[in-house]
Amino acid sequence: MNPAAVYAKHPDYVQRDVAGECILVPVRRSLKDSNSIYVLNETGAALWRRLDGTSPVRDICAAFIEEYDVTPDQLHQDFDTLLADLLSIQAIQEVAVAHGPTG
Amino acid sequence: MVPQVKLSRLPERFPLACQWELTCRCNLRCVMCYTDCRNNPDSVRRELTTAEIVRILDQLIEAGLLELCLTGGEPLARADFFEIYEYAVSRGLLVTLFTNGTLITESVADRLAALPPHRVEISLHGTTAGTFEQVTQGAGSHARCMDAIRLLLARRIPLLVKTTALTLNRNEILAVKAYAASLGPVAFRLGEDLRPELDGGAGPFRYALSRQELDELHRQDQDLWSEACRKSGTDLPPCNSGMRRFHIDAYGGLQLCSGNRRQSYDLRHGSFREGFYDALPGFACEWKTPATTALVQPETHHV
Repeated sequence: MNPAAVYAKHPDYVQRDVAGECILVPVRRSLKDSNSIYVLNETGAALWRRLDGTSPVRDICAAFIEEYDVTPDQLHQDFDTLLADLLSIQAIQEVAVAHGPTG
Repeated sequence: MVPQVKLSRLPERFPLACQWELTCRCNLRCVMCYTDCRNNPDSVRRELTTAEIVRILDQLIEAGLLELCLTGGEPLARADFFEIYEYAVSRGLLVTLFTNGTLITESVADRLAALPPHRVEISLHGTTAGTFEQVTQGAGSHARCMDAIRLLLARRIPLLVKTTALTLNRNEILAVKAYAASLGPVAFRLGEDLRPELDGGAGPFRYALSRQELDELHRQDQDLWSEACRKSGTDLPPCNSGMRRFHIDAYGGLQLCSGNRRQSYDLRHGSFREGFYDALPGFACEWKTPATTALVQPETHHV
């Protein structure tokens, strides 16, 4: 996991709350080949909601650790898995972050 | 962490799936149709407006609806069909479209493909134009329906071909099934139960196959035979309409299902939540009787 990476939700996914569960529904052609929807578990849903296209992974993890009773190791492991899953279904994309001048 | 097979916390009563009869308008006049008696200007004027439909859709989505089946009549006969359809899909509903296919042109297929439905179900009432158009009473409708199937397949839109068993098409039903199988990933479904018209008319039953004729049909095909055996079993669960599934008619009436409209809650004047949670549980349905009683007749199950 790259702690400086920033991820944005793909606009062609719609997130729904159905009976207390967090569901991702792909709505566009290129995403619909499998005709599937995706249900996030509780941790996945909480992390998904924090992916805002501006916060780096390290900030999301820090905020998460403050709010939930979870060890950094466990959180990083869960976040790694979630990001890999979400990238594999194109539900998120990495955002290019502009860096200021260095040196 | 992401893909779970199904929703795990769904309550026993939850508005998960809706069949919405958007209109009784249709460009065809199928002989067994139960909605065509409302395919007239007076009835059409009473149908829900676009604004009313969107307002009700918002309430359904807020309540947690996930699956929406748009049917008719012919849904595409509404001038505002795409306004409704695109709104529903873009809000994250899994939309299934029931259609006769004959209004699906290149541009309509393109528009569907841009925001794809969960599935399109097309009624194909015969493999020959003669039989098909005896059923639909629409000259040229067979060719247009076949075009629609081609257009949707070319755009990889999930498709189901279905037909209704009638005296008029009984000799082509297996050919329709074989045609669907020849298309690749296209499912097939046979409807066998005709319904009285919405105004109570018995016209559709003039074209019903007898129990013996249906039995002869089933015996010619392993799949149909298996399904007939399953339906004739005595251990089918009682009807669960109104629990996770419900029906809305073209005038905003919330009902248990399309086959049971004896009681209705008016969504034009009341809220969906009140209708689903307070009114629907009190609606009568003889199919909810426990399966051990003689009242249950699974072969005419309407869900």
